[in-house]
Amino acid sequence: MRDNKIGMRTSTAESDTVRLLYRYIIEAKRYDARRLLRDEVERSGYDETLQGVLEPTLSMIGERWAVDCISLAQGFVAGKVAEDFLDIREKPASGSARDASVRSDASQAYDASQASGIPRRIAVLGNVEDDFHSLGRSLVVSFLRLEGWTVVDLGNDVPAGAFADAAADSGASVIGASAMMLATARRAYDIRQELVRKGLSDSVMLALGGAAFSMKPELAGELGGDGTARNALEAPALFERLRLRSGRLATGPSR
Amino acid sequence: MTPAERVGAALSGARTDRRPFALTLSLYGSRLLGRGASGYYSDPAVYASGQRSVVDLCGPDIVFGPFAFALEAEAFGAVAERPPRSPPTVRRPAYGSPEDAEAVAPPDVEADPRLRYLVESVRAVAEDQRGRRPVAAPIVAPCDLPVLLLGMEAWIETILFEPRLAEAWWRVAAGHFAALGSAYFAAGASVLVMPVMLANPAILQPEMAERLVLPQLSEALSRLPGPVIFHHGGNRVAPQAGRFASLPNVGGLLVDERDSLAAVRRAVGPSVPILGNISGPHFSSRTAEDLSSRAERLINDREDDPRFILASSGADVPYETDPRTLVSVRRAMEELG
Repeated sequence: MRDNKIGMRTSTAESDTVRLLYRYIIEAKRYDARRLLRDEVERSGYDETLQGVLEPTLSMIGERWAVDCISLAQGFVAGKVAEDFLDIREKPASGSARDASVRSDASQAYDASQASGIPRRIAVLGNVEDDFHSLGRSLVVSFLRLEGWTVVDLGNDVPAGAFADAAADSGASVIGASAMMLATARRAYDIRQELVRKGLSDSVMLALGGAAFSMKPELAGELGGDGTARNALEAPALFERLRLRSGRLATGPSR
Repeated sequence: MTPAERVGAALSGARTDRRPFALTLSLYGSRLLGRGASGYYSDPAVYASGQRSVVDLCGPDIVFGPFAFALEAEAFGAVAERPPRSPPTVRRPAYGSPEDAEAVAPPDVEADPRLRYLVESVRAVAEDQRGRRPVAAPIVAPCDLPVLLLGMEAWIETILFEPRLAEAWWRVAAGHFAALGSAYFAAGASVLVMPVMLANPAILQPEMAERLVLPQLSEALSRLPGPVIFHHGGNRVAPQAGRFASLPNVGGLLVDERDSLAAVRRAVGPSVPILGNISGPHFSSRTAEDLSSRAERLINDREDDPRFILASSGADVPYETDPRTLVSVRRAMEELG
């Protein structure tokens, strides 16, 4: 298992490549960033580029985002660059593998975890029922996948029962539910109720995020959440903490 | 002085009998009428009646047209929800893809029932006030309309990486903005209130906003026949206040509660009116004493700033707000002079 690097201060000295990639992201030069990463992968390999270039860059961005020195658009570009990097691994020659890879369904996720034989880094993500604000969720999906998570992305407007069903089907240790407005954020409580009803409360942690929780972090606890993060780049560290807390055994789906 | 004279004097930097104040009590009228919000956002006569009740309760110097942006989105085909104690909200964006831009048919302001409601409500409130109070009409900024029609993620991606599609959405949004804004003025609005998200440094850093948003926003604003209050849109504006105030037809800035009024004043110079900055959405969680002391602090802080108008910032004052807190602000303003 690899330590989660995103959102944590890196001790690696900032290399010229890291500084250049950072500048590309800050200036929204997504295609320059992709070209740079592709060149680095060809020169040094995928893992070396991930750990030596992309993760330190995203850490810098995460640090600045946490103190409001990064705009939402720059965070969005960081997510796109992370997505592009995953494409380089999954479809190196051409085109985007996003739909096939990000939106893997529950059974694919479960198959992947079975094949690996390691404790699961499987998460179910979605926007709560009646919420259509996908931006934050999309970023979290990208950053989680970069950290090696298998993500079952349920999309927008997800009923509480569907979160719990997907977690049970996939063997996920964490559900991430996003909501922008206070009115829809309250749907998170329904997810907690579903987890209780299905007997999953001890094995599946509930992470809550989105503008409603950024503005009022204590709301996450009030609505039955196990934690929240200030921004998308901090989400992988939160999910890792919750995974370790979940106490889930490396067995198959619970039903 | 009548409220209109008081506001006019403040805007021109002249002496007033007391400091004018404005609270965003668009929704609150429905509470004062003792009815839910849903019928309130479909009948202009009911809306105007609600604003009359607001005036009776706390006598603000400016009254508002409906703060109901979801209705603009609904006119384009978005699915709106009508909660009983909140303004309508967008439940589902109107379009699934930025590629739909060329197929968008902007709604006719006179024919669409949602837009007609918005305009006729402004007309009803203006006729009710008969020039005694200025009427402010809230309007969706052209840079933010695609957020309601497509979603934030799709619009940011389009602005950053799809300039041809972005241009098509700008045409739609600017045309709608000019048509609805002009209709508001024709119906009796004194000023438009335009919350702006996409140009804010928290959403788009200034260099990108300067390149990707402000030229188009400037062009859209220049097509209006009257002034606009540039509303902070939920984020601080002080760092860019000078730039925002320089846009065409911007007649004042409504700033965030977290903004320093002194910093905004330094940024915009002495001649631009500043409004703010007690958070409207927090009215329901604050006591009457707290609000009146906040008002007092602001008035004292702006003692030598004749172009300052005390106002609520952010979104509407919540339905649940105790009416006594609103009365306390009025009393504070009367006592402070």
